[in-house]
Amino acid sequence: MSFLHIHNIHKRFGETHVLKGIDIAIEKGDFLVLVGPSGCGKSTLLNMIAGLDDISEGELRLDGERINDLHPSRRDIAMVFQSYALYPSMTVAGNIGFGLEMRKVPKAERRAAVQRAAELLQIENLLDRKPGQLSGGQRQRVAMGRALVREPQLFLFDEPLSNLDAKLRVDMRTEIKQLHQRLGTTIVYVTHDQIEAMTLATRIAVMRGGELQQLGTPQAVYDDPNNLFVAGFMGSPSMNLVTARIERLGGELVARLTAGSDEVVLPVVRDRAALEAWCDREVIVGLRPEAITDPSSANRQDGVIHEAELAVDLVEPTGADLYVVTQLGGRSINARMRPGSTLEPGQRARFAFDVSRMVAFEPDSEHRIRNPETVAPSEPAVVTSIS
Amino acid sequence: MSAASPVARRNPFARAMLYAVLAGFAVIYLMPLYVMLVTSFKPLTEIHQGNMLALPDAWTFAPWREAWGSACIGLECSGVHGYFFNSIKIVVPAVLISGLLGAFNGYVLTKWRFRGHKIVFGLILFSCFIPFQIILLPMARVLGILHIANSTTGLVLVHVVYGIGFTTLFFRNFYASFPDELVRAAKLDGAGFFTIFFRILLPSSIPIIVVTIIWQFTNVWNDFLFGVSFTSGDSAPITVALNNLVNSSTGVKAYNVNMAAAMVAAVPTLVVYILAGKYFLRGLMSGSVKG
Amino acid sequence: MSKPPSSRGAGARERLQHWLPKLVLSPSFVLVLFFVYGFILWTSYISFSDSGMLPDYTWAGTRQWSRLWSSWTWGIALHNIWVFGLLYIVSCTLLGLLLAILLDQRIRAEGTLRTIYLYPMALSFIVTGTAWQWFLNPGLGLERTMHSLGWESFSFNWLIDANMAIYTVVIAAVWQATGFIMAMFLAGLRGIDGEMIKAAQIDGAPTWKIYLRIVIPQLRPVFLSAIVVLAHLAIKSFDLIVAMTGGGPGNATAVPATFMYSYAFSRNEMGIAAASAVFMLAVIAALIIPYLYSELREPRS
Repeated sequence: MSFLHIHNIHKRFGETHVLKGIDIAIEKGDFLVLVGPSGCGKSTLLNMIAGLDDISEGELRLDGERINDLHPSRRDIAMVFQSYALYPSMTVAGNIGFGLEMRKVPKAERRAAVQRAAELLQIENLLDRKPGQLSGGQRQRVAMGRALVREPQLFLFDEPLSNLDAKLRVDMRTEIKQLHQRLGTTIVYVTHDQIEAMTLATRIAVMRGGELQQLGTPQAVYDDPNNLFVAGFMGSPSMNLVTARIERLGGELVARLTAGSDEVVLPVVRDRAALEAWCDREVIVGLRPEAITDPSSANRQDGVIHEAELAVDLVEPTGADLYVVTQLGGRSINARMRPGSTLEPGQRARFAFDVSRMVAFEPDSEHRIRNPETVAPSEPAVVTSIS
Repeated sequence: MSAASPVARRNPFARAMLYAVLAGFAVIYLMPLYVMLVTSFKPLTEIHQGNMLALPDAWTFAPWREAWGSACIGLECSGVHGYFFNSIKIVVPAVLISGLLGAFNGYVLTKWRFRGHKIVFGLILFSCFIPFQIILLPMARVLGILHIANSTTGLVLVHVVYGIGFTTLFFRNFYASFPDELVRAAKLDGAGFFTIFFRILLPSSIPIIVVTIIWQFTNVWNDFLFGVSFTSGDSAPITVALNNLVNSSTGVKAYNVNMAAAMVAAVPTLVVYILAGKYFLRGLMSGSVKG
Repeated sequence: MSKPPSSRGAGARERLQHWLPKLVLSPSFVLVLFFVYGFILWTSYISFSDSGMLPDYTWAGTRQWSRLWSSWTWGIALHNIWVFGLLYIVSCTLLGLLLAILLDQRIRAEGTLRTIYLYPMALSFIVTGTAWQWFLNPGLGLERTMHSLGWESFSFNWLIDANMAIYTVVIAAVWQATGFIMAMFLAGLRGIDGEMIKAAQIDGAPTWKIYLRIVIPQLRPVFLSAIVVLAHLAIKSFDLIVAMTGGGPGNATAVPATFMYSYAFSRNEMGIAAASAVFMLAVIAALIIPYLYSELREPRS
């Protein structure tokens, strides 16, 4: 039995169907991140777990017990809100201790618990201040303190970092991850930021339009996306998705892509059995920017490398990497090259494609084209390795 | 921010004209108050001889003393002081009760919404815009049935009932912009309906409480229609007494006493306005436009 | 969005929590239903009954209404409210807008001036009426002052002139409300995007043209609010007329509100009084309901 089990959950606001049957199960100690564009229903789902929104249909179980109709305060859940929701008229200590006060915890015990939480988050010196006197990062810590102090079974985070500036966001992200590792708590975390999802989660649930698109480990969601949406949503810069024609060339199955006035022919090595059925038809293939490199930095040990010469359109150095834009399959695509490289726009250069990482999608349904044995509707058993 | 295109900032003549016009209007606006004050300190003989605008030759407090303690209103010759205290007896409970009800209503209508909350609010809100003539006849009867006709208690009831609309509007608009997440957080923390209100919302409501008190105070203090319709004689509020004094005194009209009595009626709201004009204006604005 | 919590483990306390909000709201709602809507129904019924000094629930059809409509005084009252309302709304709006624009020129003493223009709004209409009655007193007031200042031929006796008395009420009413209308316009002016004005200045538009073509058109919502507020105040005006003219000389300054009051409490003609009150309500409702609807409708997302 899973620790948190979300079973076929629906949410309707009048005519609008906000959640259309969500199934997610996680174990104790898991860090589940619900990620998706705004309006995908992830915050609604979180509020339903908290008990702040009613469940229209389906079942919610925490540690085996059905909690659908349990009052929020009786669910043994704590939540960190996007706006932090600190009570403006109370001190930091009052904020952190309010939940314990409502549960009639004796004063001395309460003070000790507040102290412990404050030490854990390094905000002991702020306990007498009012929220209005705190910086964004400090408020964030207080909000976490308020959740931690109750030692609940489950922590909920609703976009907790979205109000912080970029630098602070990265620091707090690290801190949340450390806290999770140290305390071993179970967390459900909502964000629209896929980098946050990748870095924090032990399980990612990608949602769109009230439906679960994929549930899996960060690596599985990244390398083995279920559909075109997940492929495009996860990763930055995003996966290159271009049209290709599957053909048989001298007994070998290949994908033929236009490249400016030229063509590139890449051998199909992954999901070959499934792609046999698509012979002489068009599909959409996906290749991460890091799977298209200069030949010298290609990973020839784990990958299957195929080289081709293409025109360089644009060079974008980021310091750590050099992104080169070129034409493939009628689109501009990104390739990740070695930083010191001396490429110039207009020049032709050799690109190394790691075809073992190439995935293919049905152009109409946008579903992934996968070999039957590795088909995993919501959660792949293992990270698919290269065939 | 302030405008836009200061009229001819570089043209000193236009600037001077602008200030002259504004000052002229200020004089016109202050004139009645000035005349009232000056008249209230003049002996009657001076009023009959002299210029309305002139300062008194011989300053006298007698009109104020008479207005407060011995002027005849109807058959009673003890000035307006009794009616002044009547008004206080009406204003204080009416403001507190309607304010408290409005605060609770605003809280429920924004943070504990239920099906039909908009209709309920609309019905309550419309009540502050009705012409009160529509309720004068039945109200007079109901007050009679409840045995509180012709009493300050009766007027408290009337002002509470017809004040709820505005107090609810003020608190509803204020709480509508109070973050829902705070209420949600408090619910998760285990706080109930009243705890959330008294511990979380109320401590942050000082500005709207001030606005509501000032608005209700001014409205109730300045009321004349309810006072004249539902009370007479001893239990009338100050506005009714002032009108009786000014418009039905027999014999020689004591203008100086009338003006002193008018000042007595005006001072409480004027003081509130001068001390808390910002909140007074905010009340006026949200009473006419959405908050 | 609320739903009763399950009885299992919820207990009486949680059920109470669920009903508490409605319980707390209900006294106010019941009061309003009874004292506002119940009373409206009662008064409406009375206007179709035989009631005179006491309520008489015999159905009388539209008898009271036809008596109201054939009343000479009611005709005067309707005429007066038209004249008064129109002059009041137009003068307050124009004067308020003018003062607001003048004050919006980075004036040094803006705060003080605003306080001066707005203070009459804090006064009771009875005080205002008393003050203006004295100020415009034909024997001792403004007229006498002008004479003593050397303008011997100056004559101002509108207060006792049946044809002119209503205009004295307009003057006092405008004096009282203009400051408020000015404050509304000033708030509107401060809400206008300054960059748009700068763009117009760079385009070379003269100041008066900027106001006429760019600023004032953007104040349309304020005009609407101001007109609705003023019309509402005008129809309800009672205190000021009682204090200044007592409805006289004769019936010269009667308005619907004073008409209703005198038929209800001095003439003991409940039926006619009720009919006039219902008429007032109908006019105000036609004005206020669409306004409230548009003001409070939440923008659809």
